[in-house]
Amino acid sequence: MSGMLYGGDEIGALVFDPGHHSLRVGYAQEDTPKAEIPAIVGVAPDGGPKLEPEVKVEGSGGSSSSINASQPPTSAAAWKYYIDTTFLHTPRQNMELHPYMKDGMIENWDFFEKVIDYSYAKIIQSESEYHPVLFSESPWNQRPKREKLMEIMFEKYKVPAFFLVKNAALAAFANGRSTALVIDSGATHTSAVPVLDGYVISNAVVKSPLGGDYLVLRARELLEAQGIDLTPASMIASKEVVRDKDKAKYVKKPISFAPTNSWMAYMSKRTIQDFQQTVLQVSETPYEERVASAVPAVHYEFPTGYHQDFSSERFRLAEGLFDHAMLGAGYIASTSAGMCDVDVRPALYSSVVLTGGNSLVQGFSDRLSRDLSLRTPGSMRLKMIAANGTVERRFGAWVGGSILASIGTFQQMWVSMQEYQESGKVQIDRKCP
Amino acid sequence: MADVRDIMELDQPVTPELTKEAILGADKNKKRLFNAGQKVSKRPEGMHREVFALLYNDNKDAPPLFPSDTSNGYKQTKIKLGMRKPRKWEWMSFTNPARSDNTLFYHWRRPSDETKEYPFAKFNKKIDIPIYTDAEYNQHLTTEGWSRQETDHMMDLARRFDMRFIIIADRYDTEKFPKRTVEEIKDRYYKVCGILAKLTNKKMYTYDADHEKRRKEQLKRLYERTPEQIEEEQFLIGELKKIEARKKERERKTQDLQKLISQADNQGETPRKADKKLPKKKITNPSRPSRVDTSHILQAVETAGIKFPDYKNSGVSLRSQRMKLPASVGQKKTKGIEQMLQDMGMELNPTPSEEICQSFNELRSDMVLLMELKSALGTCEFELQSLRHQYEALNPGKTLTIPAQLLTAGNEQEAVKIGEIIDVVGSPGTPSGI
Repeated sequence: MSGMLYGGDEIGALVFDPGHHSLRVGYAQEDTPKAEIPAIVGVAPDGGPKLEPEVKVEGSGGSSSSINASQPPTSAAAWKYYIDTTFLHTPRQNMELHPYMKDGMIENWDFFEKVIDYSYAKIIQSESEYHPVLFSESPWNQRPKREKLMEIMFEKYKVPAFFLVKNAALAAFANGRSTALVIDSGATHTSAVPVLDGYVISNAVVKSPLGGDYLVLRARELLEAQGIDLTPASMIASKEVVRDKDKAKYVKKPISFAPTNSWMAYMSKRTIQDFQQTVLQVSETPYEERVASAVPAVHYEFPTGYHQDFSSERFRLAEGLFDHAMLGAGYIASTSAGMCDVDVRPALYSSVVLTGGNSLVQGFSDRLSRDLSLRTPGSMRLKMIAANGTVERRFGAWVGGSILASIGTFQQMWVSMQEYQESGKVQIDRKCP
Repeated sequence: MADVRDIMELDQPVTPELTKEAILGADKNKKRLFNAGQKVSKRPEGMHREVFALLYNDNKDAPPLFPSDTSNGYKQTKIKLGMRKPRKWEWMSFTNPARSDNTLFYHWRRPSDETKEYPFAKFNKKIDIPIYTDAEYNQHLTTEGWSRQETDHMMDLARRFDMRFIIIADRYDTEKFPKRTVEEIKDRYYKVCGILAKLTNKKMYTYDADHEKRRKEQLKRLYERTPEQIEEEQFLIGELKKIEARKKERERKTQDLQKLISQADNQGETPRKADKKLPKKKITNPSRPSRVDTSHILQAVETAGIKFPDYKNSGVSLRSQRMKLPASVGQKKTKGIEQMLQDMGMELNPTPSEEICQSFNELRSDMVLLMELKSALGTCEFELQSLRHQYEALNPGKTLTIPAQLLTAGNEQEAVKIGEIIDVVGSPGTPSGI
């Protein structure tokens, strides 16, 4: 309670920030989430040949069996669920991977609940009824989904209090702003969201499908066209040192079965993501072959041991995020600001907050700031706010949620269990704007 | 001191050095310091030996440095831990008075604070949004284009979003009601508030939606200028500034020229004025004073009135600026104007509408003219009187009968005279082309 000085009051709340790439979980008032769980669930029929005994991970503690029995997605057979990187990255027979997010919103609630179960059991390691829960959501989240989430949290997890905030507003808070134009470049899309006094102006949200996954797609095309083997690291037992651009020499792990296609796709995506994070760079000015090839090449070695230099490709690939006339990051930002009331535009331009994991592609913020300054009216001051740290940028919304949930004046905002029991889930729109 | 002695090769007895205590005159300390002066080798408590060695060498010389306050030693006192029992923190429940329900949350708190109210509750401020009853609505608030439901919805949103009209417009229920602009919502809200305030005789706020719309339209256009347009504008502004600078330069030059001319004129006139001061000793030509007088009056009339500066400068200026008296009007005249205005029961600074501005300036210009004419008349009369006295003194027994029209016997005559003079001079009613 001495936190009066800084206006903080910690009540043991939890913050969940579901994203396409991962779900971030942690305690409010901490500076980083406790865990980042991939937003994907592995499902395999139970009773199949198990590779390791410790696979029993799904579900919270003792209630795992009941979950398995009660909510199989398709048939009545028992299913096993594999959550979190350690379990996902091992090849397993018949394990199909399913994403539970779609278009920034939670799509498959059964899988989502599994992940929440897992977070409580393994990450939080505490009972859900002791911790108020703050969830983030995408600015275009639909009302039925909001209600459903609230219902699940109260009915199933018996949380004492619940709150739902738009992730763009949280990202703005994390950067110390209540009014900002939030450019969130995530896995599936890049969005420009104007936030005014902590409220998202929902009619002026602009999004484009050019995000991290798009880069992965383009990188995959390029690498496959070059005939590069994208076998993931977890399939490789050993590899030999080869010369630059020489054919890879490696030994595959002895696996008796063929991993599922979805697993292979996911794992090769992880491989490409690593490639993308290490190699890709956005050039500061629109792509030019001549300029790009003058920049020193970057060397990259694939899990198979194959390695080569990448020079102009790294710029050409990343250029896809910006060169589109209608969907480039700079364009959507200025469109979004242009849809807002003229009175707030100067405030928005003077704090453009950049967040999201994909914004960490090298040179992203420089290029965005250049593109945006070309579109900014001359009389307005443009200021880009991009956190330097990887954690702050990737978990912007989570950090904002962590801050918000531990502010003393926020504690009156929670939708409490009592309020939920009195007015039901329909109040979500009233309580959580 | 020691180093100075060394340099001077003097061998003086050790003098007690000045310290804070010595100056303050604390006897005890003084005694101790004397001792310290003699037994310099004593290391103060807590001072490191190496540091001490730097100050005091083996010769046991007095320290070359001014001794500092060593009463507390060189060591800072450490915090004494474990002396007191720390106050406890407890994970305890609390209710927040800012909440409508009495939900219990838990946080760390000192047990001593347990009875206190939740400290953040006092930040729970709500904006007072007026409420209306059915009767009030039906009687006063019905209006074209706004249904009761929509008004209710709008007021509800205003309450929820604390009158953030941009957010209200954003979250407006466009399925049930037509889409509204921020201005429409604001207009309706302030009208409702205004009517309700009128009913209860509270302060009213008016909102001019059309004006706002125009303002925003303008702002939008301002923001949507292309870089070329902005560049052109900058260029034009630069050119305009150049032109203005040139114009000012020209004006300054003409002013200088005029000053020179008027100075030359004055120089030509001063001897004449000197003449006027000497009429007692001169036998003046009867025709002469009148000639002098007319020229005097003419000059007075010419300079009379206030020359208000042109406000043809570019850029925006307040109209009230045009009513400001130029600096050339002296303090005496300003006072006179004020006095006259007060006598006439007029405001010193009327609302500067276009018409008032012009008329007011003319009026004041006339006032100055009047003042100057009066003073001119005064001098004329004085001269006339003095001439009469001279005449009588020179021709004892005779009296000079001054023609009646030259005397300011009645106000009517004066008025007539002034009118005549004004007519002669021209039309000072519109002085100096405002």
